[in-house]
Amino acid sequence: MRVTLLAGAVALACSGALAEEAIIMGNVESKCVINTDTTGVYGNPVAGKLSTDTADGGVEPIIRYDVALGGSYTARIVAPNSFSSSPVLTDTVFWEGSSAVKEVSDTAMADYEDNAVTYDYTTEYDLHTAGTTWFSVDSLAEYGYGKAYPAGEYRAIVTAECIAN
Amino acid sequence: MRFAALLLAFLSAYKADAHEMLPSHPVLSVSYVSGVLKTQMHLFNKRQDVEYYEVGVFDAEWNPVPFVTGYRIIRLEYLEQVKFDVYILKDDADRAEFVCSRSKLRGDDTKGAMVASRICSRFSKGRS
Repeated sequence: MRVTLLAGAVALACSGALAEEAIIMGNVESKCVINTDTTGVYGNPVAGKLSTDTADGGVEPIIRYDVALGGSYTARIVAPNSFSSSPVLTDTVFWEGSSAVKEVSDTAMADYEDNAVTYDYTTEYDLHTAGTTWFSVDSLAEYGYGKAYPAGEYRAIVTAECIAN
Repeated sequence: MRFAALLLAFLSAYKADAHEMLPSHPVLSVSYVSGVLKTQMHLFNKRQDVEYYEVGVFDAEWNPVPFVTGYRIIRLEYLEQVKFDVYILKDDADRAEFVCSRSKLRGDDTKGAMVASRICSRFSKGRS
């Protein structure tokens, strides 16, 4: 009886030792992350002009898209066409704006700019390759016909969208 | 010291703020309410300048589709994540194409051109 119990205990201990396995599981799924690397700033080179162009003293916003699986998402970037907040303006504002590919993490993304679809203030990019793409947005707002902007703070919004295909 | 200050200035100027929502292709499944389907979404806020996200459901032409969540505008602190359920009527399920989260910006936070981010997942039509 004692021998049988001892043999059983040894067998159990051995089977326990054999069952020591560490399993690491992972799952790669399509994912899009929108990062705001640089917030834009309007420069005011002349009284009636606000511009994000570096030559005008502005800073272009830089938006980074990280995509885990290629072909899963479309990037859509809309440049501003109105102020979200500003002093009271009595004349019209002439808007210009567009986005451009600034940098890519993979050479296969070289055609993103050529294949971009642009309409109004919107540009769409087919994110066909996994990796990271940096986009810059330029925005220009000119007030009336040679008029000076009233003093105050001006804000406009760039919309960066990532839409699943 | 001067180098450290320069490095800090560089890092703060180029800090990354991110918005993330999963899954990219959610599946609508039966809920505990008859005639209503549901799916679960996962939202992660890595944007320091954003505290609120608005959820919306749209058809293929970007028209709004009726839906219910616990909160249509979700408060999410920096580096917080949340799982939320989206409920859609079975009759509306076929035309529901996208579920989107959009960052809500505060008007007094930053100067110049701010960036609003919107991520849209597309409903998988192979429902469970």
